[in-house]
Amino acid sequence: MTRLKFALALALAVLPQRAAALTISAQTDRSTVEINGNIYLTVQVSGDSASVPEPKFPNMQNFNSYSSGRSQNISFINGKISTSVTFTYILSPRFLGLQKIPSITVFDGKEKAVTPEIEITVTRAAQAARQAAPRQAEPAAGQVLGEAEIFLKAETDKKTAYPGEQINLSIKFYTSVPLTSNPQYMQPVFKNLIPEDLPPVRAGETTLNGQRYAFSEIKTALFALTPGTAEIKPASVLVQVPANETLDPFDPNFFQKFMSMSNAQGRSREFASEALTLEIKPLPPGAPAGFSGAVGSYSVAAAADRLDAKAGEAINFSITVAGHGNLKTVTAPRLPELQDFKVFDTMSSLDIKKDGDAIGGKKTFTYILVPRAPGKKTVPPVNFVFFEPRTGRYRELQTAPLTISVQKGDQEINNVYFNAPGSAPKVTASDIRYVSEKARAGFLADCAAGITALPLWLHVLPAALTLAAFWLARLNRFKLANPMLFRFKRAKSLASEAIENTQALLKAGKTEDAVSVLYDSFMAYLSDKCGVKVSALTIKKASELIKVRFPGASPRAMEEIRELWTALERRHFSPSAAGPEGVTDLATKYSLLIELLEKELRGGRP
Amino acid sequence: MKKLILLLLLTPFAWAAAYDRGELAELNDLYKNDRFEEALEGYSRITAQEPANPWGWYNAGNALFRLNRTGPAVFYYAKAFRLNPRHPDIRFNLEYALRQTGQTLLPEGLPRTLHYIYYFLSDIEITAAAIFLFWLACLAGAAGFLLDGAPAGAAAVRTAVILGALCLGSLAWLGARQNSPFAGAGVITKAGGARLLSGPGDNFKACASAPEGLLVKVLDSIDDDYYEIGLTKEGVKGWALKKEVEKI
Repeated sequence: MTRLKFALALALAVLPQRAAALTISAQTDRSTVEINGNIYLTVQVSGDSASVPEPKFPNMQNFNSYSSGRSQNISFINGKISTSVTFTYILSPRFLGLQKIPSITVFDGKEKAVTPEIEITVTRAAQAARQAAPRQAEPAAGQVLGEAEIFLKAETDKKTAYPGEQINLSIKFYTSVPLTSNPQYMQPVFKNLIPEDLPPVRAGETTLNGQRYAFSEIKTALFALTPGTAEIKPASVLVQVPANETLDPFDPNFFQKFMSMSNAQGRSREFASEALTLEIKPLPPGAPAGFSGAVGSYSVAAAADRLDAKAGEAINFSITVAGHGNLKTVTAPRLPELQDFKVFDTMSSLDIKKDGDAIGGKKTFTYILVPRAPGKKTVPPVNFVFFEPRTGRYRELQTAPLTISVQKGDQEINNVYFNAPGSAPKVTASDIRYVSEKARAGFLADCAAGITALPLWLHVLPAALTLAAFWLARLNRFKLANPMLFRFKRAKSLASEAIENTQALLKAGKTEDAVSVLYDSFMAYLSDKCGVKVSALTIKKASELIKVRFPGASPRAMEEIRELWTALERRHFSPSAAGPEGVTDLATKYSLLIELLEKELRGGRP
Repeated sequence: MKKLILLLLLTPFAWAAAYDRGELAELNDLYKNDRFEEALEGYSRITAQEPANPWGWYNAGNALFRLNRTGPAVFYYAKAFRLNPRHPDIRFNLEYALRQTGQTLLPEGLPRTLHYIYYFLSDIEITAAAIFLFWLACLAGAAGFLLDGAPAGAAAVRTAVILGALCLGSLAWLGARQNSPFAGAGVITKAGGARLLSGPGDNFKACASAPEGLLVKVLDSIDDDYYEIGLTKEGVKGWALKKEVEKI
């Protein structure tokens, strides 16, 4: 085998300071292939995580491609995981000449890597070239096509199966007439079945009912999912038959030749296979504990990367399940309780083979075991249970126990998944933290949201309250500082109140009390206005004082004051003279005098 | 009076738990089972119902991160961070997502403790604290004026002065936060990054490109289709499509 092409991945869209973690490479087993041959294309994707994405294949017109398996390799170096998955494909050329395998891309959501194109030279088949020459002379123009000349046949190797048991489907395309263009094959739709390609396409000649046919066969492995009925819908092929036949159907390369006729003209015809129905039997009852659905024929083995280790050091312990069956669905066997070890990550690698049309290979589950203490430590047998369709029975296999010699741990050795005993925990922080279970924002946030949601006008209230309190305080201070000013201003209102009280007392028949109220009120009024206790003065002195304080007071006002004062004194100190009518008149007079004085006594301030 | 204040404070919380723990547990189960798209749909519903709840944003950020949509994840983490900047999980995931895009949460040379103090309260919490202190200062001031001349009045005035100073301090803190990288900021959410044009339209030339997940300053948002954004570190500004930038 000659390796002719090798392409390193080109990393795109990565940050400048970061090295490309995702790489892809592609290579073929040869660069020249006969038209009836196959080439193996190996695509390797590597990354720095536990899983890498599958490569994206471009639309290839010049090759038929079939998946031929995959193998995965995971390594732990200095605490870093690196994964490498190799995908194998079988390519069947469809045209002669220089053909190109287009760029294959892989994208993990952050990084993208591509391979360069690979050139393949497709040559004629040596044997075919010899046979084709005489047959090309045989004219086939005007041949009438019938159901017997071209047909498609689908059949399975078994009609009943268990879920997970391999069923091989064969779809054969027969033709006894030449075709001018590439037949388009449309795979059937499967119900309750998982398909797996079984490359390559087989081609050959056969005789059916005395007529020679060229045929192409596509095989597919199927695995049923659940008991019941499984269906294979019809497969179909679209072909074109030329007006002037130029190819011989019995040419071993006829299938590739008509594919290479790009300018061919002819009638299009579609041929379909019959639908098939399969019976899927339920697995027998009584599955042992530990059965997780594995169906096939397997063996199981356990291994450790070393049998001597120090306490606290990581050991790669792997369990390999090998054999025939759908290994993709095989899950990791459950480890027994390991008292002497801490068990860390589980990784799996898969290597699928399709030899002899049987899907198989091996799947390896790797566990990281860390011995807790020195001594001879044993990993007990691990059970693996599967159902074997060939015998119709469940089988339980056990791995051999492994004894590991554990030495005393070295404090200097740090493992990436744990720390040596006694040392401080080391945070590797290789992932985001888990989602939160909290339904509420939290008390503080709720309070904050509540406060900020209050209407703006509400916040004016405390400010208004403060301003009001401030004004009141100022007012109180002013009052304390200027008592006479307030008495001066309040004199009229107090006098009016006294007049009302007088009226009430008169109505109640309390004339003497009414006179006393009136007299006291008048004295208080004059005192408030003058800022001096007037009752202690004579009328004359009081008049002089008023004249001094209020120079604008008119003689009439002064006269009115003197008259009222005299009348009130007389009534107040000679109660017998105080009749109700006279007191009412005095109250009226007092009321009018106050109105007058309020105008006359404005000029001055106490 | 106390009851009235409590009522006033608590009434707006009636909507605070519009979704229950059962719904959240279901969404988290979806997340746990790698059904990130469905989980994201639910988390987004929560953020729409409760935009003030940081956990809806945080969980949605996680789902987006798992879907390898780092740009939107940074945006969602940043929203959660603005609502609850002191929670270690939110800080951690935002820091982690920023690191994936070549950025850091902690400015170079700034002590972590100082940064933690600076972001101890969210903007809304600082605003609420300022309002609360303003109320207390006013009430203490009013008491001081009403008890004018009495020893209690003098104490009330002193308290009012201290509370007022704290209120001003809160406002100053809030003002300082307007200069934080998250104030008036946006995140490039377009996969593969966004083009910065020299004007708000396709007819203008591209002058720079901004990678997905980059925190940018939104300088102008008047245009219907474009934001004017600034890349502070690089000293570059340009116009980017609004659908390619999410404003925090």
